[in-house]
Amino acid sequence: MFTRTTHRRLRPAVRPARRAAVLATAFVALLAPALTACGGGASSATGDGALKWASSYFPAHWDPVVSGSGAQFRELALVYASLTRTDESGKAVPDLAESWEYNDTGDRITFHLRSGLTFSDGEPVDAAAVKAAIERAKKQKNSALFGDLTSIESVEADGLDAVLHLSQVDHQIPQLLGQRVLQIASPKAAAAPENLDQNPVGAGPFVVKQLIPGTKAVLEKNPDYWDADNIHIEDVELVSAPDASTVVSGLRTGVYNFADLDPSQADAAEKAGLDVFVQPGFNASNISLNINKAPFDDDRVVDAIRHAVNRKEFVDKLTFGHGEATDQPFPKGYEAYDPESENAYPYDPAKSKKLLAEAGHAPGDIKLDLVIPSEDPQAEIVQSQLAAVGITVTIKIDKNWATPFFAKDLAFSLYSTTGRDSAVQTLTAHFGPDGPLNLSSPYEPDGFEEAVAKVRQTPLDDPEYKTVLREATRAGLESKALVFTYSSPNLMVKSSAVSDLPKNPAHIDWTGVTVSGR
Amino acid sequence: MVRRVLALTSGRIAVAVLAVIALLAVLGPWLAPQDPLATSDNTLAAASGAHWLGTDHLGRDVFSRLLDGSRVSVLGSLEVALVALVVGAIPGILSVYLGRVFEWITLRLADTLVALPFLLFAVAVIALLGNGLTQAMVVTGALVSPLFYRVARAATLSVARSPYVEAALVAGASTGWIIRRHVRVKVLPPIAVALAQTIGVGFVIVSSLTFLGIGVQPPQPTWGGLLASDLGYLSHRPWGPVTPALLIMVTVWACNLLADAIRDVSGEAGRALVNDRKARANRLAKGRPVSAGGAR
Repeated sequence: MFTRTTHRRLRPAVRPARRAAVLATAFVALLAPALTACGGGASSATGDGALKWASSYFPAHWDPVVSGSGAQFRELALVYASLTRTDESGKAVPDLAESWEYNDTGDRITFHLRSGLTFSDGEPVDAAAVKAAIERAKKQKNSALFGDLTSIESVEADGLDAVLHLSQVDHQIPQLLGQRVLQIASPKAAAAPENLDQNPVGAGPFVVKQLIPGTKAVLEKNPDYWDADNIHIEDVELVSAPDASTVVSGLRTGVYNFADLDPSQADAAEKAGLDVFVQPGFNASNISLNINKAPFDDDRVVDAIRHAVNRKEFVDKLTFGHGEATDQPFPKGYEAYDPESENAYPYDPAKSKKLLAEAGHAPGDIKLDLVIPSEDPQAEIVQSQLAAVGITVTIKIDKNWATPFFAKDLAFSLYSTTGRDSAVQTLTAHFGPDGPLNLSSPYEPDGFEEAVAKVRQTPLDDPEYKTVLREATRAGLESKALVFTYSSPNLMVKSSAVSDLPKNPAHIDWTGVTVSGR
Repeated sequence: MVRRVLALTSGRIAVAVLAVIALLAVLGPWLAPQDPLATSDNTLAAASGAHWLGTDHLGRDVFSRLLDGSRVSVLGSLEVALVALVVGAIPGILSVYLGRVFEWITLRLADTLVALPFLLFAVAVIALLGNGLTQAMVVTGALVSPLFYRVARAATLSVARSPYVEAALVAGASTGWIIRRHVRVKVLPPIAVALAQTIGVGFVIVSSLTFLGIGVQPPQPTWGGLLASDLGYLSHRPWGPVTPALLIMVTVWACNLLADAIRDVSGEAGRALVNDRKARANRLAKGRPVSAGGAR
């Protein structure tokens, strides 16, 4: 008691000032980290935050050969690198291969790989690994990629040089062998494909630490990635988005900081102050018809359906104005989009009815089963638009839809594609005789094969390339098997903690992206 | 029993609510003011004179869809309950009389059905048989049937070991006669309780399955399906899920209330309750007794 009194007496003048200083120091010390985190910019540079990504396309398969070139390639790209990648203009640029060159005749291409790279299991990234990856994609029983690699006859491995001998002149190969078609797995791990499927081993920017199939993947930065200096994210938590309506809440509460977004949720996300943006892409949806089956074996019925489709309704009701109408397998503005073919079959229900009458069908005569894999408002719009011209559509949900669809057993269905980096690949997938999205195989429109061959023979930097490509699109659009409807947006949402992404069309590239520690 | 149930306030409320729901199921599709499947450009509209409950994401009138969906929702839950009753109650009664082998097999089957995760099983069977309401409800009914099996078996066991049934057996009565004469009377009340409860459970199951897109093909509306689609547009129509959710909730509540009422009026306790009510009613009818020698 005495001592205290003495102390108080000794320091009466300095006490308030010092206490204030101590309090201020403590206050600043406490607030500094919080303020830094809120500011984002300063701490972003450290790149020490974790990416928490809620995805509607959580991969069912982590073996890239089985997973195929659909939308989930973006998630697999966390683990796997490819020979090439695409830049913001959509052109092929070096990835694992630092350069490549064609021979004079255009039927052989040599990729030169970067030296000293390894897969995350320590295996070397060399030409032998490229050869193994291509051969596996061509031969593995459950490969979803073999149809994309028909131009490649054989691969010769020579140290870091992979020499691809082609079955035809094809200048699309660098474009083709990017993230969508040739994510390269460690050949040692790929020796047991069923194991690789849930234990991915690649040479990409991240390494899987933990994988709960169908639910969650935890990844950490791969220090041996060739461009590791430009990867500023240390940890990634990829989760399967449980429901579109929960994504915004998850981002608001910090459970996620990045997600793909259903257009119906864009308004709520914007109101919540989240960063909603559209990543450029090549999405296109279509109505698939099988002209080998009645009633589509009658051209007048096909034309009636073409004129019955009101694309604006798809855009308004399904994309909330974020998408756009398209009558081609890519959105407007893409280099392969052919302006000359635009609006060749305008919305005209009266003409549609007339065509049906000419074909001898009274209203209600035609009854179709529209088979789809899951509930989809697209189907209900198709049903109502065709009902307006007298075609009765019954929607049938078949959980095993993929089997009859790809076996071309269905007569009438829907498909939406996220496109391909190679425009030729997009065209042949839709219009080629064996195209997986051509429900009318082996049918192909007249002149399409020649037009596509001409594109393959034209180097991508040739001034005529765009013209030749559009001619191929025009030839493909003569197909009676597909009616394109709209292009949905690649709508994404992120919190302010995540910096802007490179605008690589259809890709999600984490190069240079930072996540603040919030 | 109906009279006894209606004698209870809770019974009357339950019957009244369920009668309204039944009317909705019968008349709903005709009462719908607009075509429940007709799309329009007026999407996600608020409630108005033209659309009492607004419109959905494809511009369809939600009120009309609710009315139209009543029949499928109600019939689905009834189908679940009836399948469960037939599949469960009959083997439950017979398990007491048809010997040890039949008893053992049916008991193990009931155990197996209880152990099966119903959603997974429903999805698997639908993948096998095709996506349809009948398939979904038959599967669900089979999975719910152990409740009836056990209730019917327990009630039958208590009757089967009673002295008057043994006397009937000694007198030469057949098993069929005993079931018709004695067992049916004892088994019916608990089964009625289980049935009312199962209709409520069936409602939840039908709503859950249609919420998941199982059983009903689009664009056929159901209460569960409407609830699911409305949840996707909460930011546009935050009140959208309220009506289908309320309808499901009230119907399930009424079923449970009815089950409680049946339980209260059945068995010894029920007889005591009714006797007590009769006694009170008689006292009231005769008037208060006047004490002898009282002052006037």
